[in-house]
Amino acid sequence: MHVHELNPKKTMVTMIIFVVVIIIGLVTLSKPRLNYAITPEETVMLVGSEEGFVYPYELEDILNKTIDTIVLVDIRNTFQFGRGHIPGAENISSVELISKENIKRLEDLKNAGQVVLLYANNLVEANGPYMLLRQIGFDNVKVLMGGYSYYKIWKDKLADSYSDDSYFMGTADYDFAEVAKSNSVATNGNSNSETKAAIVVDRKKKGKAAEGGC
Amino acid sequence: MNKNYIILMGILILLAAGLLVLPLKNNSKQLDPEKLMWDIVQPTRYVSTDEVAKMIIERDPLLVLVDVRPTEDFQAFSLPTAFSFPVDSLATDDAIPALTFDKRNLVLYSNDDLKSDQAWIIAKRLGLKNIYVLKGGLNRWIQTIIQPEAPAESASEAEFNLYAFRQGASQYFTGGSISIEQGPQAEVNVSRKKKAKAAEGGC
Repeated sequence: MHVHELNPKKTMVTMIIFVVVIIIGLVTLSKPRLNYAITPEETVMLVGSEEGFVYPYELEDILNKTIDTIVLVDIRNTFQFGRGHIPGAENISSVELISKENIKRLEDLKNAGQVVLLYANNLVEANGPYMLLRQIGFDNVKVLMGGYSYYKIWKDKLADSYSDDSYFMGTADYDFAEVAKSNSVATNGNSNSETKAAIVVDRKKKGKAAEGGC
Repeated sequence: MNKNYIILMGILILLAAGLLVLPLKNNSKQLDPEKLMWDIVQPTRYVSTDEVAKMIIERDPLLVLVDVRPTEDFQAFSLPTAFSFPVDSLATDDAIPALTFDKRNLVLYSNDDLKSDQAWIIAKRLGLKNIYVLKGGLNRWIQTIIQPEAPAESASEAEFNLYAFRQGASQYFTGGSISIEQGPQAEVNVSRKKKAKAAEGGC
């Protein structure tokens, strides 16, 4: 204490500067505008459940207004939206989806108990924004399977798409192991046995190369 | 004077206590949601099957292929040099160390782009860098590399060159035989010879 008494004015000034610096630091501390509401583990579970995926045939009821708790949001850009969109959809392009105004709009919709159904040209395009909104707490957000490109083909017979499955994603179109074994570029009807023989030879070559190297 | 000291000291202690509490709020290295959204809307994460095929053939040391399909699928078929890392594994604690390769490029793939894209988003959120997605996944891999379609006769030279590369790549990856009437076959052979040389040189 006696050190202070030696030069009270200086100490006073130092302390005031100290306080001011800390306050400035606190004020300018950048606080993220958006925060994650679910953990990465929960996101992995969300991805596994596909609970937020809406089938194209479910659009029938939405468009007939049988269900009126769903707001369709087209997240493609305004140009694409202008060239054609699902009736009743509003356009918020994905780059603007988390702007201040749109977050407010989404919050209002959530509080009003409305489900937000996102769509883009296809599922993968809309899946990213869907996952992001889910992660920052908008659990009322869903995503349309097939997207606009699928809707465009089926718009007059949406209910019939129930028995169609071409909009499903994530599935293998081939038996990869089988296809990768035989080279189908050979179009002139080489017999299978020949092709197989060729495989064996090539593998042996590869093996030799590895042996030589090491 | 004494009173002033006490007041100032009080303020200082309060602020110090406040600073202690602050770090708890942003305790993780996770990517800010706003930045993540920005990354999501960019198509820059996609690499084509042709690029990846070329990298595998050239044995590019910077390429790390990650198969995010279930383990059974990986065991049945996988791309050369790939390792298995199902999407569910991202929920484990050692996900980040397992996927951290200094300066190397991670390319995630699945059957198409859906699962790999989802895995990409989660990995990106966890703070991983240099991660990419194989556009079209294995389905497109078969369509373009294993069973390439011949371009129309009116197609540009670039398309024919691409086709020639794909035929060579197809042969590389399947070990099958190619038999087409004219020209392209020679080009295919040339690319094979190059490969052999590269391999010799490497070892």
